[in-house]
Amino acid sequence: MSETTQVLPAVPADANDETTVVPAVEPPFRPSRAGWTARGVVWAALAWVVLALPLNILSPFEVGVTDVDVASLAVIYAIGALSLNVLLGYCGQISLGHQAFVGVGAFASAYIVTNLQLSFFLAVGVAALFGAVQAVLLGAVSLRLTGLYFALVTLAYGSFAQETLFGITSLTGGEGGKPAPRPDFFTSGYRYYYLCLGFLALVLWIDWRLTASKAGRAMAALRENPRVASSYGIDVRAYILVAFAVSGLFAGVAGSLVAHHDEVIVPSSFDFRLALLFVLMTVVGGLRSRTGVVLGAVFFALLEEGALVSMFGLEGFFEGLLGLPTEFVSLVVGPILLVLTLTLYPGGIGQQVAPIRLWLTGHRFDRHAGRVDDVEVTDVRA
Amino acid sequence: MSVLEISNLTIRFGGITALNDVSLRAGEWEIVGIIGPNGAGKTTLFNCITGFYQPTAGRVAYRGRDITGLPVHKRTALGIGRTFQNVGLVKNATVRENLATAQHLQVSYDPWAGIAGGPTTFGEERRIRERSHLILELLDLRHVGEERVADLPYGVLKKVEIAAVLATDPDLLLLDEPGSGMGPEEAHALGDTLLELRQQFGLSIVMIDHHVPLVTRVSDYVYCLNFGEVLAEGKPDDVRRHPEVARAYLGTEPEPDPASEPEPEPDPTPTLVGGTL
Amino acid sequence: MSGLGQELGVAIVTGLLQGCVYALVALGIVLVFRASGVFNFAQAEFGTTGLFAAYAALTLWGWSYTWAIVFGLGVAVAMGLLTERLVVHPLRNASRVTVLVGTAGVALAAIGIQFWQFNETLIMTMPRIVDSLFLVPVIGAPVTVQQLITLGVLIVASVMLALFFRSPAGLTIQAAQQEPTAAELVGISVRRVSMLTWAMAALLGGLAGILSGPNLTFTAGFLSFGAGRALLPGFMAAVLAGMRSMPGAVAGGLTVGVVEQMGTLSMMIEVPGARAMLLFGFLLVVLMVKPHGIFVPRAAATA
Repeated sequence: MSETTQVLPAVPADANDETTVVPAVEPPFRPSRAGWTARGVVWAALAWVVLALPLNILSPFEVGVTDVDVASLAVIYAIGALSLNVLLGYCGQISLGHQAFVGVGAFASAYIVTNLQLSFFLAVGVAALFGAVQAVLLGAVSLRLTGLYFALVTLAYGSFAQETLFGITSLTGGEGGKPAPRPDFFTSGYRYYYLCLGFLALVLWIDWRLTASKAGRAMAALRENPRVASSYGIDVRAYILVAFAVSGLFAGVAGSLVAHHDEVIVPSSFDFRLALLFVLMTVVGGLRSRTGVVLGAVFFALLEEGALVSMFGLEGFFEGLLGLPTEFVSLVVGPILLVLTLTLYPGGIGQQVAPIRLWLTGHRFDRHAGRVDDVEVTDVRA
Repeated sequence: MSVLEISNLTIRFGGITALNDVSLRAGEWEIVGIIGPNGAGKTTLFNCITGFYQPTAGRVAYRGRDITGLPVHKRTALGIGRTFQNVGLVKNATVRENLATAQHLQVSYDPWAGIAGGPTTFGEERRIRERSHLILELLDLRHVGEERVADLPYGVLKKVEIAAVLATDPDLLLLDEPGSGMGPEEAHALGDTLLELRQQFGLSIVMIDHHVPLVTRVSDYVYCLNFGEVLAEGKPDDVRRHPEVARAYLGTEPEPDPASEPEPEPDPTPTLVGGTL
Repeated sequence: MSGLGQELGVAIVTGLLQGCVYALVALGIVLVFRASGVFNFAQAEFGTTGLFAAYAALTLWGWSYTWAIVFGLGVAVAMGLLTERLVVHPLRNASRVTVLVGTAGVALAAIGIQFWQFNETLIMTMPRIVDSLFLVPVIGAPVTVQQLITLGVLIVASVMLALFFRSPAGLTIQAAQQEPTAAELVGISVRRVSMLTWAMAALLGGLAGILSGPNLTFTAGFLSFGAGRALLPGFMAAVLAGMRSMPGAVAGGLTVGVVEQMGTLSMMIEVPGARAMLLFGFLLVVLMVKPHGIFVPRAAATA
């Protein structure tokens, strides 16, 4: 194909000449047939990893029950991280006591199934509701404080919840723990994993609809510029509370699932370390990126449980060479990743994965897609 | 009944009286201009009208209704739209997202229904997408729809802001220096746009600007503010030629306008009858 | 003396002494906030790190107590400088909440390193500087000389800080915080000021940790001195000081110490986690009623 360049005669400049150049609007990109096939294959592989691999369907690997339990936990953590993402990512409110939201849901659910002998699914719903109510109460407090001071309140609330609220032994069973049996059909590890996946799908749906609807847009606007948001007709205070409510809902669900996952829960599980873990998952995962947050949660869950280390045979490296027992690897790796994310890769895992994600949804593969310039955990009032 | 009626508005910040006993009105489909040197209190006045500031004394009424205590978002719901001096848009969102956000009140579904993903949501979302499209077409901004606001040049942003405020479906448009950063031709084109918008949408407009030719051309009535007080008001030409106004801006008397110079007075000293000496 | 009265007396005395530690932490927090506008969530970990370093020097390597303290403080200061370099400086243009998350990450890293190095040792103790205890007459509250030393160090530190901020160097710090560009233009290196501030804050944190460590057994983890115990009370004290006032931080620290001790009264035995509840409640009340702090000199309150 030869390239012909024509040199057009110069157009004489005219004082009244108003030429507005309207750039051509390109037709939207459509992948070719080969492109679609390639994407289809990757989708199928992903579906296999999520759905079939843990259950040893069509798989050369042998996945034991404990591994499936770890996978379930990863899914539950993903729900918890999505919960914090609504607060931290969508609304810019920092919560260092998020483990309390989850814990309240956990104990509520355990109580309903054990003490009240009611159905698990009802328990999940009530746990979600408790999570939401508690979150809204804190949200009301946040309306009066700037972000930094609110962070302190959440910190204090977290330890208050763990020591006082979860210390009410008549409700929470004290140090012996509170039993939380799994629902009848889902007692096996494999089935429980599917149950958790189902709830994750539900949570992802709601999160998607949130961001695609007026509530999500309202939050995005008020996070950056509350004045402009109000002048668009958005009741800023009301939507901050909505964000807290949704966050609490998700956290309650995660709490219920984790309670019945462990089958016995103790207050000490819901400590400050869990709060920091959630922050790590969301920030390193990539704020406001659903994919990133889920991947971040899965990563840290697997790291916490030692699964990642054993999968890649790195025990020798960590325990032998560095003298770092597997259970503490996440404590060292986590902060490093956090600082890297904050300073160098603000979009976190979500940003790294964005080109692939966009490609999978039918866009052209663009290495620089999903560029994020700064973490933007903004509370403009701070 | 006037669309906007401000009576004896006063606001004090600590020791400073930013506005002192300001009264202003805008009638149906009127374009009212507000001029005055920097620091005169023009944006403060807008902030009181829109609800960002609470006045110390005085009253703001919209179509006869006292809105002095109403929060900002409720005033938008009534039909008051506003642009900002530093371009009020959500910078990290795209133009289209800004327009969608601006149509917050136009969307009929309940926010919780939206979160749950109820059936009406999808239809409504499509409807406001189309409405955004129309507004962008109207202002010739279709090609920047998917651009992030933070990446766009200032001149385009001014237009985008107008698109966004139109998306809120206002009755009364408060424009804070829409012509800032524009040269004479652009300002002239802006004036045309404003007149057209008034026509098409049946808007009343109150406009702050420093482009005196622009304000004079499009306004039906002009107020000049200085040091928080109304210095002069009236028809655009009258205000423009008012000596106080010129002194406020320039510190000097205005150049006498040759066309309006009165006939030189006849010399009262008597001359000799019968011709010159 | 009646039972409750005696209990109150003991609680108040213990609270005041414990509050000295919180005051030291709070001084560091206020210092950093005044200089960089940052909530430093790693402040308490400066203490734990210093403490563990001193412990290692003293118990594991057999150094003398003095040198162990010096080493501990040195490590704490190094940690402060590292925080400034790795987190605060790169994020200087980011929102303050982002920097908060960054410092929380530093705290977590410090805890991780503590686990890494010390996970073998379940119970660690450190001898006191002077191992002596006496009872306050009438009230019968136990007071260790270590605690009195802590009080003394606090007084000295407060006085020195007060003098420092009146000195040209102190004014330089404030200038750099309030108007960094203008400060640069008159020749103040904002960078060096920042490093100096963090070094000082880390020193204060380190003192808090090293001086209070001997009063308890500690172990690597979230429950020992740092994030678990001293962070929240330290911040609450700083809030009482309006995040601005040095003497306010001292008063705040003592107050929080006393409030916390109220959780040990026998009437509170029924309440689980009384300490956490009191701290949470107190923080809420203060922030709702007097968000600008209580122990704030009038001039600063209007600033």
